[in-house]
Amino acid sequence: MKIVVFVKLVPDLVEELTVDPGGTTLDTTWLRMIINEFDDHAVEQAILLKEKTSTQVIVIAPDFDGVDEVLFTACAKGADQIIKLTGDFSSINNHALARAVASRIKILQPDLVLTGVQANNDIDGSIGPALAACLNQPFVGYVSGVTLEDNTAIVQKEYPGGVIAEMSITLPAVLGIQAAEQPPRYVAVSKVRQVMKTSNIDEQPLDELDNSGFPEVTRMFQSETSAHAEMITGSPDEIADRLVSVFKEKGILQRTNR
Amino acid sequence: MPERIDFWGIPENWGSPAFYVYSLMFLAAAILLIRFYLRARLWWKVGRPGFHWNHLLQRLGRVINYGILQTKVLSQRYPGLMHASIAWSFFVFFLGTGLATIDSHFYKILVGIPYLLHKLVMDVFVVIFFIGAGLAVFRRFIQKPPRLTISSGFTWSLALTILIVLGGLLTESLRLAVEKPSWAWWSPIGWLVAKLWISTEASSATLTNWHLVIWVAHLLIVVITIITLPVSTLLHIITGPANIFFSNPDRKPGRLSPIPENSKAEPIYSDSLRNLSWMQFLSADACTECGRCQDVCPAYAAGTSLNPKILILNLRDALKQDASSILHGNTNTHLLIGEWIKENALWSCTTCMACVYECPILINHIDTIVDMRRHLVIKGQMDGELQAALENFGRYGNSFGQSDRMRARWTQTITPKIKDARREQVEYLWFVGDYASYNPTLSDITIKTAEIFNKIGLDYGLLYDAERNSGNDIRRIGEEGLYEMLMEKNVAAIEKCHFQTIITTDPHSYNTLKNEYPINQDKRILHYTELLDQLISSGRLKFRKKLGIKATYHDPCYIGRYNEIYAAPRQVIQATGCELIEMPRHAERAFCCGAGGGRIWMPEGDVKERPSEIRIREAVELDGVSHFIVACPKDITMFRDAVKTTGNEDKIAVKDLIELVHAAL
Ligand code: SF4
Ligand code: SF4
Repeated sequence: MKIVVFVKLVPDLVEELTVDPGGTTLDTTWLRMIINEFDDHAVEQAILLKEKTSTQVIVIAPDFDGVDEVLFTACAKGADQIIKLTGDFSSINNHALARAVASRIKILQPDLVLTGVQANNDIDGSIGPALAACLNQPFVGYVSGVTLEDNTAIVQKEYPGGVIAEMSITLPAVLGIQAAEQPPRYVAVSKVRQVMKTSNIDEQPLDELDNSGFPEVTRMFQSETSAHAEMITGSPDEIADRLVSVFKEKGILQRTNR
Repeated sequence: MPERIDFWGIPENWGSPAFYVYSLMFLAAAILLIRFYLRARLWWKVGRPGFHWNHLLQRLGRVINYGILQTKVLSQRYPGLMHASIAWSFFVFFLGTGLATIDSHFYKILVGIPYLLHKLVMDVFVVIFFIGAGLAVFRRFIQKPPRLTISSGFTWSLALTILIVLGGLLTESLRLAVEKPSWAWWSPIGWLVAKLWISTEASSATLTNWHLVIWVAHLLIVVITIITLPVSTLLHIITGPANIFFSNPDRKPGRLSPIPENSKAEPIYSDSLRNLSWMQFLSADACTECGRCQDVCPAYAAGTSLNPKILILNLRDALKQDASSILHGNTNTHLLIGEWIKENALWSCTTCMACVYECPILINHIDTIVDMRRHLVIKGQMDGELQAALENFGRYGNSFGQSDRMRARWTQTITPKIKDARREQVEYLWFVGDYASYNPTLSDITIKTAEIFNKIGLDYGLLYDAERNSGNDIRRIGEEGLYEMLMEKNVAAIEKCHFQTIITTDPHSYNTLKNEYPINQDKRILHYTELLDQLISSGRLKFRKKLGIKATYHDPCYIGRYNEIYAAPRQVIQATGCELIEMPRHAERAFCCGAGGGRIWMPEGDVKERPSEIRIREAVELDGVSHFIVACPKDITMFRDAVKTTGNEDKIAVKDLIELVHAAL
């Protein structure tokens, strides 16, 4: 069996985000890129499957600042092959990315494609369904558990309100991972450094990106804060009283008659 | 002239007693050596060999200091006196017997005055021995402090030593009772006992017979003691000094041992007995079970699963039980980590060094703990909170998960702007540390520090966003690779700056910068308490006010025990006009706050009482002390919490030393 995990880097929200003077994208000068948290879970889920059923795991990521470390880290966790897609990603969108990545994935012919269910820079929808469409394969999103059996995958999908459905899906398929069965493991830095010395990143240039279908962004701006916070001061008792009355005003708290 | 007689009172028809005695002794010694060898060879057959003989004189000096003079043992009064009296008496008995052997076979020395002195000294040490043995009996059977191992093995050893000395005393006294020499008072105790025999009016022949019986018994007990030594609690007589000898003499406590490597330069992790060093087994077999380490361990006091004494003894038991299976290639042994030693115990250590400081035979618990943590880290086996902290360090260089660009945000209100040491030449490079930089409750203190530096006119600068966590505690968590990464980044940033001295406000950074960073040797590294002390004595820092506060000072582990800075902070506190009252545990014996060794990034787990709370309770016991002075940013957060949780807010205030300086300026 062969699993491909598609991983991308997203802006780190720890840094203050500023809009580019052009007003349609983020200013990248101060941007720090980190692995999309859900993609990290997708990698973990793939490694867990590898440990259970000795599948082959290939991790693919487009070239962003810091991608090498992300790929080497995946390798240190147990990925068998790491691929970096090179090209110009300065104005990237999921429509174009999905087409380009799908063309690569087709060559690899995996049984399963895993990717994070969403990312904080998904302007035009998450990439999982787009990939599935390009590959002409079934897709399940919000997956939090995968078991492989011959040519089917049994997946757990989470619905809002705490309902979990278990469904079986015929492979090949694409899954959008919400959470791996266990939190992403820690890899010691020395292990990553070791991998950097002994493994290679397979660099594959992407052809022209096809942006069709991507909606044009006309304006990007910081959301204006309208409501202001009320600071409650005073003794603990006064604060508690004020809180209770606020809750009552908002209808959160109701008097119960016994 | 008084003179020593060989084998007095042994019947003539017994042939040559010398022959029997020496054959017996020789045999006993051979058995001892063989049994000892059979035990000791497991150290390097199971563990990794690698003997170090360098610094021979220094090593011998340490054996004399710690093994023979027993200075560490003596640092605790009761157990110190107890042990030293017993041990020194045996050294003297051993030398005295050796002298007697030389006298009878090689060179007559014990004639006249030398003989009388010999008798006197031996007798005096009999008294000293019985004082020590009495203290031991009282301690073992009446006091029973929790740190002692109450087991029959120790009772046996005590009984054997008492019987040996008693046997010697009785034979001597019986001989005196028969001979009644004119110089008998030179053996005061022997003579007193002899008088007892004389008063029974038993005949010389009866007394001589008794002498014979006791002499034979004495001989046999000595033989039994020698033969059983390798399996008894007396084994430490050999292994203790051996451990002192082989412990690394030129390693500073603040410099952690690197990860051991095999011949192919691959790291060796302490995941099995096979991968421990022979020294770790020697230490395990040398542990005297005195429990001093347990007594001072904050993790143990807090009720965690760590007990440094048991940790070492677990290694001993593991070797005892699993060695033969391992040597027979049987892999079905207990897990070293997980079964013999629990992961939780390893993570509970604050690396405070109290155990290492206290151990009379120089066992290094921290090395073993960190080695085992390294194995856990490489396997990714750790708690989620700690993992998140490590990931933050890897990504942002701090545990707060904040951008490096926010590191110097606290400087915004300070005018004139603090120099950027990367761009301008400065005399002092201030390595601020994470807590002082990012923790909002501490920025007040960090700002005050800068204000003081400005007032004194110190020429100083910062690394600004190029500073990373120094990695001291990351290294002690066992994340060596991450430590190296942070260290390399810091060193690269530091090397670009022009400065003479690094000052730190954080003891943890101080330790690793000073002892572990490959920084140019001619750069000085100062803790701010040292700097302030120097400025006070040079007259550059003068105080206008006398604070008149009664204060106590808490020594941070990494400034105190690790780097032996005790006087400087105290002098600064006193210079501000405070009256310094010491806590019972201070300086070398200061009790850890519980935050070190990465504990601050781990969940607390099940603790009975936090070390910081224990410490605050210790401080509020002091009469009239209103201020608890610390010299470490982490201490502020730890102890301010503890003051609240112990309900002592109206009794004591936690202040950084710099706040006193600020108030007195
Ligand atoms: S270093 Fe401190 S916490 Fe760790 S075992 Fe020793 S005494 Fe206990
Ligand atoms: S490790 Fe050292 S201090 Fe602790 S019990 Fe053993 S000998 Fe005593």
